[in-house]
Amino acid sequence: MTQFTLNGRPVEVDRPTDELLLLVIRDALGLKGTKYGCGAAMCGACTVHVDGAPEFSCQLAVGDIEGAEVTTIEGLSEDGTHPLQKAWIDQQVPQCGYCQSGQIMRAAALLSENPEPSRTEIANYMSANLCRCGTYNRIFKAVEQAALEV
Amino acid sequence: MTAQILRPNLSRRTLLKGGAGLVFVLGVGGLSAVEVNAQDATLDVNQWLTISPNGAITIVFPSTEMGQSSYSTLPQMLAEELDADWNDVVIAQLNEDDRAFGNPIFGGVLYTAGSTAVQGYYDPMRRAGAQVRDVLLQIAAQQLGVAKDSLRTETSTVIAEDGTRLSYGALAATGLDGVQIPDAEAVTLKDPQSFRIIGQDIPRRDVPAKSTGKAEYAIDVELDNMAHAVVLRTPVEGETPTAVDDAEARTVEGVIDIVTLPDGVSVVAETLWAALGARDLLQVEWSTTSPARNFNSETTLASYAEAVRDPEADVAVWAEKGDATSAIKNADSTVSHLYLSDYAYHAQIEPMAAVASVDPDGLGVEVWAGTQTQSWTTHTIMETLGTTQDRIRLHMMTMGGSFGRRTAFVQDYVRDAVLSSRAVGRPVKVTWTREDDVKNGTFRPAAAQQLEAGLTTDGQLTGWHHKVATPTVIGFFNPGRWEIVKPNDVISMRGAESKFYDIADFRADHIITERQARLAPYRGIGAAYTSFAAEAFMDELAEAAGRDPLEFRLDLVRDNQRGQYLLEKVADMSGWQDRGDRALGLSFAGYSSSMAAGVAEIEVDDSSGEILVTHIWAAVDAGRIVSPDNAHNQIEGGIVFGLSSALSERIDIEKGEVVQSNFYDYEIVRADRVPPIDIHIASVDAPPTGVGEVGTPMVSSAIANAFYAARGQRLRHMPFTRDRVRSVLQS
Ligand code: FES
Ligand code: FES
Repeated sequence: MTQFTLNGRPVEVDRPTDELLLLVIRDALGLKGTKYGCGAAMCGACTVHVDGAPEFSCQLAVGDIEGAEVTTIEGLSEDGTHPLQKAWIDQQVPQCGYCQSGQIMRAAALLSENPEPSRTEIANYMSANLCRCGTYNRIFKAVEQAALEV
Repeated sequence: MTAQILRPNLSRRTLLKGGAGLVFVLGVGGLSAVEVNAQDATLDVNQWLTISPNGAITIVFPSTEMGQSSYSTLPQMLAEELDADWNDVVIAQLNEDDRAFGNPIFGGVLYTAGSTAVQGYYDPMRRAGAQVRDVLLQIAAQQLGVAKDSLRTETSTVIAEDGTRLSYGALAATGLDGVQIPDAEAVTLKDPQSFRIIGQDIPRRDVPAKSTGKAEYAIDVELDNMAHAVVLRTPVEGETPTAVDDAEARTVEGVIDIVTLPDGVSVVAETLWAALGARDLLQVEWSTTSPARNFNSETTLASYAEAVRDPEADVAVWAEKGDATSAIKNADSTVSHLYLSDYAYHAQIEPMAAVASVDPDGLGVEVWAGTQTQSWTTHTIMETLGTTQDRIRLHMMTMGGSFGRRTAFVQDYVRDAVLSSRAVGRPVKVTWTREDDVKNGTFRPAAAQQLEAGLTTDGQLTGWHHKVATPTVIGFFNPGRWEIVKPNDVISMRGAESKFYDIADFRADHIITERQARLAPYRGIGAAYTSFAAEAFMDELAEAAGRDPLEFRLDLVRDNQRGQYLLEKVADMSGWQDRGDRALGLSFAGYSSSMAAGVAEIEVDDSSGEILVTHIWAAVDAGRIVSPDNAHNQIEGGIVFGLSSALSERIDIEKGEVVQSNFYDYEIVRADRVPPIDIHIASVDAPPTGVGEVGTPMVSSAIANAFYAARGQRLRHMPFTRDRVRSVLQS
């Protein structure tokens, strides 16, 4: 039994403590916005916040986050109106969209660490996350747009 | 024309659930309308669109969505001619192999590939919209007692001369008495000048869900009582499991069953985590007789290089004009070079996944999958269960990228989900790990290409011969199709026709080599490597002729004014004429009838061998652009894809096994290596020709040519990995 906070609500899951947080979030708790892309800390599709810091949820065992506060894309805003989500829609960033939950969660962590990042700082920070559709330049623009609002 | 086309057998389509109104049916006999009332609310018909009394206009989306935005773009084309209010439009995914909706470019097969969706549906979907608009005008004319010609339409409304406005919803509810349905070919289409939807930046329908984590992909499907499966697949193509020791695997808590498949072993468990753990404990012996065990990518490429230089090799002529051989023989000088390219992997971020729920009788099934083809997915399921099409309930899910990956005639991940579900009598989701996806990848083929051309003493091109040694891709991923089209393989050869240039004596040959890997179409298909070779060679020719690469190319596009415009435009955008010390490389290629001129600017780190691309400019002509902002996004994505495959993407095969496993040894480009990309899209009055792949083919040659500008050395083997660049610099 592991207890933690998910998107502001306490949850308790009865899963093996070594099961990946990613799978617990998706399959036990039913939040599918967090994606599996590689399971190897290489793509960032699984990015969530653990106690405010960006983490690859494919690299954490659920037992390791006992008591922690986990935020997923579903918890970033109540209604999809976080400044980053609005900027993502304004800039029409997603193509296939599969990487984008992870991109947005990573970008949100960037803006909380560095509210006015330069283009280079954005590119470096976002390099943890792959986008095979090639939307990187739009991601940069959307992060810059959101930074003006945050 | 018949008044009604009913397809009572297709009883599962319930687009009309709960609504009454007019249903417009485009079937084999053309368009017809069917009146529906509340009692008939679940009438099953085969329709392009329905208009409900409440004003909702439901338009069928006949392709599948993998990021290219056809989901929004195709219905827009119909809505334009219908003069619909885009906000009234509801989009309905076509979830079956109903050839009445097929893409004319593929002979009616439901197949989303080759940047053809807008091109193929541009005419039929606009005509369907125009027909329905005409019918609505007739109904309004009757109601108002005025001439049809006196009426006009705008945003889902018919407007009379006296200002009376009738909504499409209200008209649809009133019936069809006395209405004549016009012939599809005879309806008048709009003058593009009056387009309100086509050519506008209308936001994509799927972007909000894709910005909030709500978009549902096959890998996300969750059903009651669903089990999870992972498959231990044969490490080498063509082998089968000969002995399975699953005793230990079965002890893992949550394991439901272990199912032997033709080429793998499926571990079915209550959770994905349990299935993965149990799979690690399987002991499987595989047969060892497959000829694929001899596949080694290094020797494969060497043998292709040998074949391409062998004057006796059998060739299939891909394109020919004039007499290239004589022109080259009579030239004042000749230039010839060999170009190589390795296997490449699609690397779509969503790995393969499918969910199947087989009926108790083992013949019916409901399937959720993301694929590029309703037709071949249906085919796969029918073959797997030995069943008929009417027993299949399909859900075509939006895909987390594809780029050609999900096009095969036989889709093994779908098959595995169906077989696993049948075995355990429960719904089963099959998920491939990234490692499964790489190891069982289907690749862009390796290729060796020899180019030879003649030059006159005054620096003119005379005679061009392009030989491509690579296997047939179609022969592997769709053998039945190959029987029809052979020896012409557009997937293997596209681009080698160099059709945007006017070269009087021209020849491109396909040397069809032995297949030594699993193959598939790949973004840009043949042009991803043929245009690399052709456009890198073009620069070498310009150099040998002592001419500027731009001037040399402009000579060859005198009959292609749209191409000439692109070359001049990209030169202008990039400051080509005053480039000074900047290392710029030019290329001019494209995809099908869409053209792209590109310039790459690079820097080279000599010690690491890394090429840093610092800027890319592109000028693109893809005919009329239906969705400009999305076109820009697609072209940019295509360029990034080209950049990535040029610099680092490479699959190796040893003893029949794929060497790479994941994104740590198959590198795709990351944010910090993506340069600013400036794109100009030409505005032309011509039919649309597709934007999904046009950006890709020119990139690798632009980079190779920029490398020559930077270091005076040629890169003739793609990808230009750091070690290859270092060894070129040291040579
Ligand atoms: S799935 Fe976690 S980094 Fe790729
Ligand atoms: S939008 Fe497709 S992978 Fe990023």
